[in-house]
Amino acid sequence: MIEVRDLRVGYAGRVVARVPELDVGAGECVAIVGESGSGKSTTLLSLLGLTEGADVSGNIKVCGVDVLKAAPRELRAIRGARVALVMQSPQAALSPTTRLGVLMRRALKLHGLPAGGRVMADAAEAVMLDPGILRRYPHEISGGQAQRFAIALAIALGAEVILADEPTSALDVTVQAEVVGVLRRLREERGLALLLVSHDLALVSTIADRVLVMRDGAVVESGPAAEVLSRPAHPYTRELLEALP
Amino acid sequence: MTAPVLRRPLPGFGDRFAVAGALLIALVVLAALLAPWLAPYPADEVDPVNALLPPSGAHWFGTDQVGRDVFTRVLYGGRTSLSIAVAVLAVSAAAGVTLGVVAGYAGGWVRDVIMRVTDVFLAFPALLLSLTLAVVLQPSVTTVVLAIAVTWWPWYARLSASAAASIAGRPYVDAARCLGVPAPLIIVRHVLPNSVTPVLVQLSLDAGGVILTAAALSYLGLGAQEPAAEWGLMVQQGQTLFTTNWWVVTFPGLAILVTAFAFNVLGEGLRNALDPRRIVK
Amino acid sequence: MTLLRAQDVTLGYGGVPVVHGVTLDIAEGGAGLIGESGSGKTTLARAFLGLLTPMSGTIWYGTQNLRKADRRAFRADVQPVFQAESLDPRMRVGRSIAEALPRADRHRVPELLEQVGLAPDLATRRPHQLSGGQRQRVVIARALAVRPRLLVLDEPTSALDVTVQAKVLDLLAGLDTERLLITHNLAIVERLCRTSHVLFAGRVVESGPTADLLGRPAHPYTLALRDAVPKLGGEPPVARGRAEARPAATGCPFRLRCPLAVPECERAPEVREVAGRRVACHRAEDVLTGP
Repeated sequence: MIEVRDLRVGYAGRVVARVPELDVGAGECVAIVGESGSGKSTTLLSLLGLTEGADVSGNIKVCGVDVLKAAPRELRAIRGARVALVMQSPQAALSPTTRLGVLMRRALKLHGLPAGGRVMADAAEAVMLDPGILRRYPHEISGGQAQRFAIALAIALGAEVILADEPTSALDVTVQAEVVGVLRRLREERGLALLLVSHDLALVSTIADRVLVMRDGAVVESGPAAEVLSRPAHPYTRELLEALP
Repeated sequence: MTAPVLRRPLPGFGDRFAVAGALLIALVVLAALLAPWLAPYPADEVDPVNALLPPSGAHWFGTDQVGRDVFTRVLYGGRTSLSIAVAVLAVSAAAGVTLGVVAGYAGGWVRDVIMRVTDVFLAFPALLLSLTLAVVLQPSVTTVVLAIAVTWWPWYARLSASAAASIAGRPYVDAARCLGVPAPLIIVRHVLPNSVTPVLVQLSLDAGGVILTAAALSYLGLGAQEPAAEWGLMVQQGQTLFTTNWWVVTFPGLAILVTAFAFNVLGEGLRNALDPRRIVK
Repeated sequence: MTLLRAQDVTLGYGGVPVVHGVTLDIAEGGAGLIGESGSGKTTLARAFLGLLTPMSGTIWYGTQNLRKADRRAFRADVQPVFQAESLDPRMRVGRSIAEALPRADRHRVPELLEQVGLAPDLATRRPHQLSGGQRQRVVIARALAVRPRLLVLDEPTSALDVTVQAKVLDLLAGLDTERLLITHNLAIVERLCRTSHVLFAGRVVESGPTADLLGRPAHPYTLALRDAVPKLGGEPPVARGRAEARPAATGCPFRLRCPLAVPECERAPEVREVAGRRVACHRAEDVLTGP
C-alpha cells in the first residue's frame, strides 16, 4: 500500500528527513519512532504531499499513486478517502458548530459515496462508538471518542491505509488502550495498513510488525519490531530503550 | 509533535506594514517638532491684507481669513494634536492598565468591583460623555485630554484585565507565589511585562481615533481655543469657506486623516508582527 | 511526623467541588499521586502548595493548620516543580532563580545551576534559548534555592523526550528532599515513590506501598490503569471496562466503568484496610484474587 524509496525532505536546503526504504503492506503495521526533531512527523506528512514549502525528492507510491508526480486532483482523490490521516488532536479539526453525523455525511458526499444512516452507524460501531454519538457536537465528546470518530470517518470513506501521528499521546492510558484496541481490530478484520508515528517504544512494541528508528532526520535502525526492540543494533536505539522508566 | 512545516513564520506583511506606519508617523512627528524651523512664517502672524490667498509658491497651503499661512499653522497644529493624543493615551493607559492588571491578577471581588466600574463608564456613549465633561469644564486642551481619557481608559482596563488573568494562571506565576514573592512584585515583574503586548497594539490602533475625537471636540468649540493652532479647530474655522476657499479646511483635514491612518497601519502591523503564532523557535 | 497531611479535604472552584473528602499523608520515601485527566490530582497539588484553600477539611503542615501557619516557614519547606511554562518567558533564567534567593545569597545562582547539572553561564539565557530538559533543570534549581524539605512535582517530566526524561528523573531521584509526585505515569511512580495513592474522580480509591499497589491492585481502577500501560515487548494494552464512561454521581464513582460492578456498588464504598493498603471498593477481595 505504501512504497517509499530514497525519500528526502528538506527545507531551504537543510534535509530534515531521509528515509531510504519504507514499505507498508495491507494488514501490516509499521511504526516510525523517534524523539522531537527526529523527522518522523515530516516523513509521514510527505507521504500525502502535505509538507508545504518543502523540497521532497525520491519515490513515493501510496495506493498505487506516485505522490510526487501525481496531479493535485489525483492526490485529493486518495487523501481522506483511500488514505486517512489521524492526528494527535482531531477535535481541533472538527467544526464546532456541526454535529458529527452531519460532518460524516458531508465527507461521504464530497467523495461521491452513499451517505445512508446504516453506513454511518456501521462505521461508528466498527470503532466501538455508540451510533448515538453522531447526533452530538464535537465539544460534547471526549478526546478518545474524537480520535475514534476520526478513525470511523476513515472507515466510512473506505480507507485502506491509515497514517497516524501520535494518535494516542494526548489521551489517558486507559483511553489509549481502547483506541489501540480499535486500530488492532481494524487491521485484523479489514486488512487495514497502518503507519504509526510515535515516541512511545513500549506502545509500538505491542502493535507494530516493523519499526524504523529515526534521529535527527535519519533512519538509524529498522527491521522487525520484535528484533529491533529486543536486540537493538544501534547505540541510539539502545539509549532509547534504556531511557524507559 | 508538530512538523516543522507548521512552525514556519507567516510571511512578513506585519513587519512591512508596521514599518510603513512608523515611518509615516515619524514624518508627522518630526514636522510638528521642527515646526519653528520648518515654518516659513511666524506662527500667529496676522496679515489681513493677504487673507484667503490660494496656494502659491509663497504660501504652499494658502492663507486663512486673517491672512495666516495655512502650512505654518498645520505644522504648529500638529504639535497640539499629537500632544493631545499622547497625553490622552498616556493617562488612559496608565489608569486602565494599572486597574486592569490588578483586577486580572487578584480576581474574585476585586476584579468584580473594578470591572463593574469600567462597565459604568462604558455604558455612556463615549462622545456624549466627553461632550458633557467638556461643556462642564472650561474649554481648553487639558479639558479635551481629560474628557477623552475618561471614555478611553475602561477599554484598556478590560483588555489588560483579561490578559493579566490569563497570565495569572500560568505556572511561573504560581511558582513565584510559592517562593513567597509579594503580590505587587509579582504583578510588576511577571504579570505586567507578559500582558502588555495587546495593550501596546491597541494604543497605536487608538491613536488615530483619539486625534479624530480631539478634532471633533475642538470642532465643536470645546477644545483648543483661538489663536492656538489645532487641526480640529482649524477645520471648524474653515468649514464655512469650503466652497469658496477650499484650502483653509482641506489641508488640516488631510493632516488629521493621514496621521490617523498612519497610526492604524502601525497598529495593524504591530498586531500581526507580535502575533504569538509567529513567535517561532 | 509527616510534613504535610490532608484530612478530609474537599476542594473546588467557584463552589463546585472536584476533590471530595481526601485524606492522605505525604509519607517519607516519596509519595505518588496517580491519576488521569480530571482526577483532581493537580487541584490537590495546588492545595498542598497553599495555592488553593480547601472548601472543607484541613491541610496540616506539621501540627499547624496550613491556613494559619507561618507562610514564610512553609514557603521555605515546600516548593513546586511544575511541568512546563514555569519560567517567565521574558526573564533571564539566572534572574528567575535569583528571585528565590535573599539579596545577599544571589551569588549562589551558579552553584545552584551546577547542582542540577547545568553550566553556570546559562544563567544569562532566556527560557526559549534552552532545551526542554535544560528548562526543567532550571525549574528544579529554583525550587532547590530555598533548601526545601519537600518538593511537589507535578508531571515534572511529561513534556520531555524519553532520553531527556531519564536524565531528569536521575537528577530528581538523587536529591535529598522528600517528594510528592503527581503524575499519570505509573513507571515514574515506581521509580520515585515508596507509597502511592490512586485518584479517581476526585477521590482516593487506593493507597499503599507502590510495589503492592501496582503488583497486585486491589481496586479495579488501579488494575485497569496498570493493564492499560503498554509494556515493552509485552501483550498489547488491555482495555478493562469502558474507559470513557463518566464517573457516577452517586455510589462508587467507578461503577459505570467497572467490569466487576454489582448492585451493591450503588452504595458508596467505605475506605477499608485490605491486604496492607487502604482501598475504597466493595469487591477489593475479588480484585485481589484475580479475574
